[in-house]
Amino acid sequence: MVSSKKIRYCLSVAMFISLFLLAGIVPAAMSANASFNIDKMSDMSDFDPNAVQQPTGDTIKIGYMAILSGPGASNGELFWPVINWVAHDINKRGGIVVDGKKKLIQIIKGDTQSKPAAAKQEAERLILEEKVHMFWGTSGSHIAKVLSDVAAKYKVPFMNCLALSDELMNEKNFNRYTFQTISNTTQWNMALAQYYADRPEKNFYILCQDYLYGHSMGTAFAKWLAVYKPDAKIVGEDYHELFLKDFAPFLTKIMAARPDVLYTADWSPDGNNLLRTARNMGFSQPIANIYITDTDTQKALGVEATKNLVVCYPFIIGDNPQTPAQKKLMTEWHKRWLTWKAPFNKLIYSWPDVTIGQTLADTYWMFDIIERAASTDAEKIISVWEGDEYEGLTGMHKMRAEDHQAIFPMFVGATGYPTKEVYPGAPYADGFSGINKVTTIPAEKCTPPIPEGLKDRLKNK
Amino acid sequence: MKIPPSDRGTIMEGTAFILLTQGIHGISYGLVLFLAASGLSMIFGLMDILNLSHAYLFMLAAYFAFSIAQVTNFWVALLLAPLAIACIGMLLERYLIKPVHPFGHTPELVLTLGIGMVLLEVVKSIWGTTMLTVMPPESLQGFIPIGYLKYPVYRIFIIVFTIIILCGLHQLFRRTRFGTIVRAATVNSDMVSALGINVPRIYTLFFGFGTWLAGLAGVVVAPLLSVHPGLADQVGLDAFVVVVLGGLGSLWGAFVASILIGLLNTYGIQLIPTVAPLITFSLMVLVLTVKPTGLFGDRQ
Amino acid sequence: MKITKGHFIIGLLLLAALAAYPFFSGVVYTNLFVRFLIFALFGASLNLLLSYTGLLNFGHAMFFGVGGYATALLLEHMPNAGLLTALFVGASAGALLALIVSPMLVRVRDTAFALMTLALNQLLFIACLKLRGITYGEDGVGGFSIPPLNLFGLVSVDITHPYNFFYFSLCIVGLGLFLMWYTTRTPFGSIMIGIRDNPNRVNYLGFNLPFSKTVIFTISGFFAGSAGALFALFQNLVSPDAVMHIQNSFTAIIMVFVGGIGTFIGPIVGAAIMTGLENLAVRYTEKIFLFNGLLLIMVVMFFRGGFVGLYNLAKAKWGSK
Repeated sequence: MVSSKKIRYCLSVAMFISLFLLAGIVPAAMSANASFNIDKMSDMSDFDPNAVQQPTGDTIKIGYMAILSGPGASNGELFWPVINWVAHDINKRGGIVVDGKKKLIQIIKGDTQSKPAAAKQEAERLILEEKVHMFWGTSGSHIAKVLSDVAAKYKVPFMNCLALSDELMNEKNFNRYTFQTISNTTQWNMALAQYYADRPEKNFYILCQDYLYGHSMGTAFAKWLAVYKPDAKIVGEDYHELFLKDFAPFLTKIMAARPDVLYTADWSPDGNNLLRTARNMGFSQPIANIYITDTDTQKALGVEATKNLVVCYPFIIGDNPQTPAQKKLMTEWHKRWLTWKAPFNKLIYSWPDVTIGQTLADTYWMFDIIERAASTDAEKIISVWEGDEYEGLTGMHKMRAEDHQAIFPMFVGATGYPTKEVYPGAPYADGFSGINKVTTIPAEKCTPPIPEGLKDRLKNK
Repeated sequence: MKIPPSDRGTIMEGTAFILLTQGIHGISYGLVLFLAASGLSMIFGLMDILNLSHAYLFMLAAYFAFSIAQVTNFWVALLLAPLAIACIGMLLERYLIKPVHPFGHTPELVLTLGIGMVLLEVVKSIWGTTMLTVMPPESLQGFIPIGYLKYPVYRIFIIVFTIIILCGLHQLFRRTRFGTIVRAATVNSDMVSALGINVPRIYTLFFGFGTWLAGLAGVVVAPLLSVHPGLADQVGLDAFVVVVLGGLGSLWGAFVASILIGLLNTYGIQLIPTVAPLITFSLMVLVLTVKPTGLFGDRQ
Repeated sequence: MKITKGHFIIGLLLLAALAAYPFFSGVVYTNLFVRFLIFALFGASLNLLLSYTGLLNFGHAMFFGVGGYATALLLEHMPNAGLLTALFVGASAGALLALIVSPMLVRVRDTAFALMTLALNQLLFIACLKLRGITYGEDGVGGFSIPPLNLFGLVSVDITHPYNFFYFSLCIVGLGLFLMWYTTRTPFGSIMIGIRDNPNRVNYLGFNLPFSKTVIFTISGFFAGSAGALFALFQNLVSPDAVMHIQNSFTAIIMVFVGGIGTFIGPIVGAAIMTGLENLAVRYTEKIFLFNGLLLIMVVMFFRGGFVGLYNLAKAKWGSK
C-alpha cells in the first residue's frame, strides 16, 4: 500500500523539480529575444587602443581583416579600437563559454593590402597557421568576395560588416558561411530614395567613382529614385577616375546642370576632395553621400562648407531617439577617447558614430551569436545566426535566413550648425556642422527583395 | 547643353561660359603639373637623371605644409617647406645618387625608386595614413564671378604664382652666373670643369633647386587636394608623363605638355567623360611612337 | 663547366628534397613556395630584357596580367578547355601583347623606354577597370573551374590540391627556366647581349635591330604570360590590382636587382629572398615598402651584383684558400 503521505511527498518533489526546470527554461526562452545589454559592459577605464594586450593560448581567435599597409592603411587603423573595445569588454567579463570552456577573445591581424590576391593569401594563412575561428571585415566588395570564398572553402564563418555590394550575397556568390551585417547597395539606395520622396528636391546629379562599386551605387540610386519619386529628374550622371586629381572640371559641369542635390558614393580621398572643391567653387547645394564623414576633414573645412551634407547609413546619431544603452555606450566611449594618444586622438574617433558605431554594434552582435551558439563551430554559429533577431544599439536587426543579409532600420542625417547637443556637456561637433536632423527609415521600408535563386534555399532541406 | 532660363540674355551664351571656365581650370591644373614637373625635367636636362623619388618629395612638401601651416600660416609654409625639401634633395644627391651615377641609368632609376618607397613609409610613420586638410589662406578664399559661374580665387593665385616662377626661372637661366654655368654644363660638363668650376657642387645645388620646385608644387597643391600617402602616385604619374611628353630635359616642352594635359583633361571631362582617364597615357604612347624624343626633346 | 658525378648526386638530392618539401612544410609554406616559383619565372622573363638586353621595363606586369586574364577568361567561358591549353593560351597572350607593343617600343631606349612601358602598363590597368563587361572590373575574374591535369588520357590529377599544384608549377617553372636559359646560350643569346652592349654594332653586323628586339620582347612576354597564367590557376582569381598593377613590375625589378643583375640565376635568388622577406615582413611589420626600399638602396649603393654577386665575391675571397 502506498500511503497518501508518500504520494504527497512524491508530488511535491515532482513539483519542485518541474519548478526548477521551468526556472531554467523560461530564461532560456527569453534569451531567444537577444539584445545588447549595456549593464553587462565592463568598466572600460583601462581600455587603450594603443596598448592592447591580446590573450594567447586556448582563445577564441578572430581574424581582423583590414588594410594595414599601403596608402589605404588608415582603414586598418579606423576599426582597430572598435573590435578591441568589444574584445576588451568581453574579456574583462571573463570571456565566453564555448564548447564547455570559458575562453578569452584574441584578435589576430590580417592585412588585405586592399588587393584580392594578397587578401586571399593572408586569409588562408590566418586559417591554416593562426587557426582563426571567424573573420571580421572588410572594406572593398572585391576583397570581401575573396574572403567570402575563402570562408566557404575552409568553413570558417565571416561577418561582412563593411562591404556594401549586392552581388556578394546573390545567387551566384552566396555561401552559408558569410553573413552581411551592413546594408547592401539596395537597402542603402532604397532608404535614400525614400528620404527624398517626401522632400521638395527634384533634380539630382550623380557623380561616382568609375569602377564597379561606383557604377552599381549610381545605377541603384537612379533605379530606386524612379520607384519612389517618379517626378525626380537625373540631370546628369558622371563617373570619375579613382584618386581624381582635380574635381573642378566635374563641378563646373555639375553647376551648369543646376541640380538640387549632388549624389555621390565616393570614399576618401575622393569624397573629401569633392566636398572641398565643391564648396570652394561656391556649390552650396546638398551633397548626398555615404563616406564623406571624416570629422577631421570637416573640422578643417569649417562650419559653412560642411552644411548641407546628407548622409545615409545604418547608424547615425542626432536628434533621433536613442536608447539609454546607446547613450551610455557613446558617452563611455567618448570619455575614454579623451585619454587616447595618437593616432587615436583624432576627431573621427571622438564619438562612435556612422561606420564606427555600426561596426561596434555589429561586433557586439557577432560575439552575442558565439555566446549563444556556445561554440566556435561553424555549423552551430550558422544555426544560431540564421533568422536571428537581435535588439541592437539602433533597433531590431534581423539576419534573413535565406540570403544572410541583415535587415534593420536605416537613417538619413543632415548636417547643420550649431549641432544639437546630443550628449550634455560634450559638444558633438565643434567648429563644423555635424549631423543633427535624422530621419529614420524603418526596416520594412528598406528591405531588399531576396535574390530569386535563394528564396527556396531552406525549403529544399 | 541647356541654358537655365534666368541666364538667357546674358552677354555670352552658357556653353561658352562653361568652356571658358573649363579652359581656366585646365590651365591652372596644367600649371600645377608644370611646377611639379619642371624640377624633374631640369634635373634630367643637366644631370641625365630621372629622379623617380621626385613625386615623393613633392608629397613630403605637402605634409610639411600641413605641419607648418598648423603652427603658423600658409605663407610661412610656402617659404619654409620647399627649402626643407631642397635640403633633403641635396643630401640625397650628395650621398646616394652621386655615387651611383657612373653606373648608368638603370641603377639610378632603381635607386630613386627605392628612395621613393622609403620616403612613403617615412611619411606614413610620421603623419599616419588619414587624410589631412590644408586650407588656403584667408585672403585667397572666396571666388570671383564669371557669368553665372564662380571662379575660386585660389586657382587664380596658382596661375599667377606659377607664371611668376616661370619668369623667375627664365631670368635665372639667362641673367645669372649660376644660370650660365648650368647652361654651359648641360652642353659640355667636362669643358666647364676644365674652366675651374666645381661641377659636382653645381650638380648638387641644381638638384636642390629642382627639388625646391617640387616642394613649391607640393605646398601649392595642399589646399587643392587632401594630403594623404597616395598623393605622390596621384599627381606624380602625370608629372612623369609631362616630362616625357614634352621631351626629356626640355623645360619649354614640359610647359607646353603641362598645359596640353591640363586642357585635354578638363575638356575630356566636359565632353567625353567615359574615356577621359585614358587620354593622358594614350597621348604619351602616341607621341613617343611617332617621336621617341618627345615633343620638344632631342634625346631619349 | 663539366658535369661531374658529384654534381649529379647533388642534383638528385635537391630533386628529392623538392619532392618531399610539401610533406614537411604544410600547406602555407607549400603555397609560399609556389608564389616563389611564379615570381622566379616572372623575374627571369624580365631578366631577359634587363640583364641580357639592357632594357628597363617598368611595365612588365602587363604581360603577366594579360597572361593571367587570358587563362582566367578562357576557363570562365570554356570550362572544358584543358589545363595545358589554358596555360598555353595565357602564355601566348603575353607573347601576342609583346608583339603588338613592339613597334612602339623598339624605337625608344633607356629612360624613354622605361616610361613608355610604364604608360602602356597604366593604360592596360585602366582598361581592365573600365571594361567591366569583360574583366568584371576591380572584382576580377575569379571562381572559374580549374581543369584537372590530364596526362596522356591515362591519369587525371586534381591540381586544386596545394601539393599537386606545387608539383605542377615546379614542372612548368622548371621547364620555363630551362627554355630561357637555353635561349641565352644560343647564338641569339649573343645578339641579345650585343644589343645591350653596343646596339649599333648589332645593326652593322646585319642583324635587324628592331626585329631582334621584337623577338626578345615576344619571348619575354611569352614567359611572363605563362607566369601570369600560372598565377591565375594558383589563385583562381585575377584582378587588376593583383596582376596588372605597376607594383608587380616593380616587384620583379626588385627581385632581379636583389638577386643579382647580369646573371641568369639572379632573379631566381631574388624571388626567393623577396618572397621570404615579404612573408616575414607581413608577420612582424606593416612597413613592407620601407623594407623593400632600403633593400633596393643598399643593393644599388653597396653591392650592385646583388646576392649572387656577394656570393661570388665571398667565394673568390675564401673559396680559393
